[in-house]
Amino acid sequence: MFTERFLRDRCGVHLEVDERARLEAAISEIQTLPPRTNIVHAGDQVQHSTLLIEGFMSRYIDDRRGLRQLVAVHVPGDFVDLHAFPLKILDHDVATMTASTVAIVPHVQLDAIMLEMPQLTRKLWFATLLDAAIHRAWLFRLGRLDAVGRVAHFLCETNARLVSAGLSDGRRFALGLNQTDLAEVCGLTSVHVNRVMRQLREERLCIFRSSLVEILDPDRLTKRGQFDPAYLYIDNQLSNTTPSISRPTS
Amino acid sequence: MTEPSAIPQPESVPGVASAEDGLVVLDGPAGVAVTMTANAATQTGHSLISAAKAAEQQIATRGED
Repeated sequence: MFTERFLRDRCGVHLEVDERARLEAAISEIQTLPPRTNIVHAGDQVQHSTLLIEGFMSRYIDDRRGLRQLVAVHVPGDFVDLHAFPLKILDHDVATMTASTVAIVPHVQLDAIMLEMPQLTRKLWFATLLDAAIHRAWLFRLGRLDAVGRVAHFLCETNARLVSAGLSDGRRFALGLNQTDLAEVCGLTSVHVNRVMRQLREERLCIFRSSLVEILDPDRLTKRGQFDPAYLYIDNQLSNTTPSISRPTS
Repeated sequence: MTEPSAIPQPESVPGVASAEDGLVVLDGPAGVAVTMTANAATQTGHSLISAAKAAEQQIATRGED
């Protein structure tokens, strides 16, 4: 089942059996993509949306000098460009960060779902609103937090999202990002990120090594990043399956 | 409407600069997180000290009025 992680454990949007079956039927193709592959360029016409099944992907915007600002990181279960359904033309690029597997959902199928299943449509809408909530937290992170706080917040958020997707046990998760990626996420230089990671390690908060993140002290890391997971709308009562943690291919 | 107290206020806590891999990393105050070359850091430092002296002069002048 390709949609298994979509909206998993989110408050009030549990997919009914017929809704999941309809979404599965809407998939036209499964693609495996190598790392660092651009799948949508800003300004391109888009006729389908992409559900991330495995791997990590990002949305990004480059400045005039070509310096990159990541504006979203996607984990398995996310639609990386569901907003392209109404927008048709995106204002940012979308690319894989690690080797990824994606499901392609043509927009004509989403048109049909809108007519056939209003409750499923509402859940798809919820997914784009969840994106918006994560963007708001992204703004907070970059606008209000210092370097250590930014990295701590991002790692706490990613951990929470991966717990929800069944890919973290709450303490340990595979993260196929390098320090340059973290720098682009947090608006820092690689040198600064390197220093922050050392600080997090020395303070016994977190270790990020060989694509594995180990959170040593979740409470202190959460406090350091001023992280409040409420904006992720996770139903903690439902997070009860054994996570699968393995290093990503990058 | 933003409460007056929620508007960013002048920082009274200084930022902390440190050397890292031949560069200068400045952390704080507030959300400041920037990496500079040694030359840029030196010039920024001079500029900050100069502006701080001018700001102190402005306060002193205000007190005389």
